[in-house]
Amino acid sequence: MFKYIRLETKNIAYLFPFIVILLSACSNSTDNTAVDEEILLKEWDSYKENASESEVSIFMWGGDEGINAYMDEFVSPELKEKHNITLNRVAMDTNEILQKLMNEKRANQEEGTIDIIWINGENFLNAKENDLLFGPFTEVLPNYQEYVDTESLDILYDFGTEVEGLEAPWGSVQFVFQYDSAKVSDPPKSFEELSTWVKENPGKFVYPEPSDFTGNAFLQHLLYDQIGGPDKLLENGFDEEFVTNNTDGMWEYLRDIEPFLWRDGETYPASLTELDRLYSQGEIWMTMGYNEARAESFINDGTFPESTKSFVLDSGSIGNTHFLAIPYNSPNKEGALVAINELLSPEAQMTKYDTTYWGESMGIDPEKLSNDNKEKLAAMERGGSVLPANELNEAFLPEVDTQYGGWIREKWLNEVVQTD
Amino acid sequence: MKNRHYSFLFSIIGLLVFFPVAFLIVTSFALQWTWPQILPTEWSTIGWNALIEEPKLFLALRTSIGIGAIVVFINLAIGFPAAKVLAFQSFKGKSFIEAFLLMPILIPGLAVAMGLHLTMIRIGVADHWAGVALVHLVPTIPYTIKIFRSGFERVGSFYELQALSLGASQKEVFTSIYLPQLITSIRSATFLIFVISLSQYALTAIIGGGNVVTLAMIYFPYLSSVNNAVIASFSLLFAGIPLLFILIIEIVIRMFIPYRSLTNTQQ
Amino acid sequence: MKWFKQTKYVWPLVPAVLFVFIFVGYAIMMALLESITINGQWTLDAYKQLLENQSFRDSILFSLKVTLTSTFISLFIGVVITRWMYYYLRNYWVKVLIWIPMLFPHFVWGYIVILLFSQSGWFSGLLYELGLLEDFTHFPVLTQDQHGIGIISTYIFKEVPFVILIILPVYIQMNHQYKHVVQTLGGSKWEIFKTVEWPTIFPVLSEAGIIIFAFVLSAFEVPFLLGATYPKMVSILSYDWFFQGDWSQRPMAFAAMIIVTSIIVICSIVLFSMTNRLRIRVSKGER
Repeated sequence: MFKYIRLETKNIAYLFPFIVILLSACSNSTDNTAVDEEILLKEWDSYKENASESEVSIFMWGGDEGINAYMDEFVSPELKEKHNITLNRVAMDTNEILQKLMNEKRANQEEGTIDIIWINGENFLNAKENDLLFGPFTEVLPNYQEYVDTESLDILYDFGTEVEGLEAPWGSVQFVFQYDSAKVSDPPKSFEELSTWVKENPGKFVYPEPSDFTGNAFLQHLLYDQIGGPDKLLENGFDEEFVTNNTDGMWEYLRDIEPFLWRDGETYPASLTELDRLYSQGEIWMTMGYNEARAESFINDGTFPESTKSFVLDSGSIGNTHFLAIPYNSPNKEGALVAINELLSPEAQMTKYDTTYWGESMGIDPEKLSNDNKEKLAAMERGGSVLPANELNEAFLPEVDTQYGGWIREKWLNEVVQTD
Repeated sequence: MKNRHYSFLFSIIGLLVFFPVAFLIVTSFALQWTWPQILPTEWSTIGWNALIEEPKLFLALRTSIGIGAIVVFINLAIGFPAAKVLAFQSFKGKSFIEAFLLMPILIPGLAVAMGLHLTMIRIGVADHWAGVALVHLVPTIPYTIKIFRSGFERVGSFYELQALSLGASQKEVFTSIYLPQLITSIRSATFLIFVISLSQYALTAIIGGGNVVTLAMIYFPYLSSVNNAVIASFSLLFAGIPLLFILIIEIVIRMFIPYRSLTNTQQ
Repeated sequence: MKWFKQTKYVWPLVPAVLFVFIFVGYAIMMALLESITINGQWTLDAYKQLLENQSFRDSILFSLKVTLTSTFISLFIGVVITRWMYYYLRNYWVKVLIWIPMLFPHFVWGYIVILLFSQSGWFSGLLYELGLLEDFTHFPVLTQDQHGIGIISTYIFKEVPFVILIILPVYIQMNHQYKHVVQTLGGSKWEIFKTVEWPTIFPVLSEAGIIIFAFVLSAFEVPFLLGATYPKMVSILSYDWFFQGDWSQRPMAFAAMIIVTSIIVICSIVLFSMTNRLRIRVSKGER
């Protein structure tokens, strides 16, 4: 019997690793629950004071070297110098960020690790519906009030979801097509011309699957065309019956061009990355995507041919605003407010506009800039592949309810893919 | 006969190992490389620059190696005894226990990510390196048990029984019989555990919450880049780290175990 | 007394079992619960929807086809190479070389397959330069194809070294004198393999097989890179359902993953009871 007991104490040693790891973790948990409403009632200067010497973590998609360089080489030093804030950029897919927040919400974790997320569209809707966001906070940001066109529909609505001050506009982009001008002399101007072009150049065009954001936008544009512009879709939110009954032509169009697409339409690229790779290899002659200046950095690093130019269809180009939000359990909400305000400053926005880093349009209204800055902005070169600003402005089309995206995804599978 | 074998072996290794790695190295220096060129038309170090300019690179290297070492240590501590039982004892429900212990690598990661995260939050290790180390045990423990189990089966319990009957203590049995005899298993397990721990992205991202920046945390986001050179250079660095780690381990092993017993057990 | 004896043996297993039980067991329970609750109501709707879903049915068949093919071919090639080469593979540096593919994530190997074997890939360029190919559209479709050739070849490419490393120690340890016995008795090479080698490698091989099977069936990266639009691997479908849209399809994603898990677990239990019986037979025969 005695032997057995001795055996037992020895066996406890097997649990040693667990004990060590649990103890080491417990030392680190701190509790810091502040009442959200109270934060928003403070004076702006007190945020700046409290944010000083703190760390702000921004979680954002990290697959573009230009965007990462903008954050690391411009924003981060800027925040350090102006506000003594240390910026911690964490690269993660928005999907995963929301999943993390969702789990934390479920486990009632009051203090998370994320202070700012880069978000829009469906993700915003999900975050909003599941109460994952802090706010409304945009009203307290001085730069939001001074420089953002607060009446504009694409700032009040994010893919049909009312923003309600839960996210601040960071930038806006437009959907454009890129083509290789060495191979395509006269790019199409309408979906009819595109269809003709595709049939004349079999295998040289394809769009990504609509489960990809870009592929979905392409089909959404076709949907607008089909029903005579986005107005009808904007009027009364998501109307499944209406679109189901009025879009036979759209699916007919897609089935009609399918045999002439890349790989005879047997498969579609699963992502925009894949589409771009096909374009860079010369398998296809056109690619597409949000951000009218997206080709510039690809041309610079040799991924896209130098003869790459861009075009939009006469029926327009869908615009898209993306935003910054603060999670409900951000450990440093005041720091997040100061940092977001800084990201909306004319300086930060104009640097972002510069094609050396990112090259996308500003989230703030160019009309509200000082005269100095207006001149500077006008003098900035966006590069040879970018269309002139007035042409882009004229083509601008609003985005519609995010549920149309889901509808397109499902319907496409039935109408285009499963018919072969 | 012998030469034919060697040239066959060499072509297999060439095909499965050298060629892809060489291809990655060339890709990492390519600026312009389009069909049908056999080699890039323009070379540059853009891919490697992106890597070097990554501000958290060294932090991430340190964290990855540190967490990897902890995971290896706990794995050995848990896996070694369990494997010995599975190798030498037979008892009721053994197949069930074996299948059960293999579970962590048999189920889809996405299915258990949420449950694991909730557990980590409840025991207070989420967003902390300890939580990340714990969660890295999930995909590694089954391999450790497997490797040591076949190691023990190879060695057999004969020496242990012999030594015990001659009055050796458990500790002596461990240090002078199993440790030297199982050195190849320890090597393989260490290496495999480290490689698996290093390449965990989804679990590290969710459990570490961005507080724990491992190499996977900065490497995987770049995989959605269109720039082949960037992907290639990151991949090469990523593959180089375990080699560095195993080099360190090799030195440690040689420090602790007399060289002679090492050579004796090497086939 | 007997009970004490048995617990004494089993004690060292406790941490491992406890760990898997607490962490993985709980997580599977959660996943199961997610698949059978919709808005707080108990329901099997998700499973019903799955079975009625054409893409899911096509997908599960396609996934099994791809998974079984890659698993069996990897095992086969691995065994052939090891069997033939084990004498030379014992060299420390050769072993290190075989480890190298294990250092790269599957994604990278998939990426290399695209860069090499896609229609505008390196091999297509090589054939063109050699004058054997008129245009890249004439190059055979090996990636993003509907038969899963790209996925299967990536996995084979990646798993063969794994199989070699797993069964190499068995071949090195094997008592090769038995082979001579069979040989002197007039047995053919096939009989040597069947009677001497197969019983020894089967347990290890089946374990390697189930690991590869489980991995290929549930991994996401390679089919995302190399899969076709239709049919998709189950892992991709569950990933899409999990993350896309308004999250209303999550129960379906969990249900799909539970189904996949059950397939894998059933296969492994069957295989384990088979190998354990064999192991006992082998060890009895040896003593």
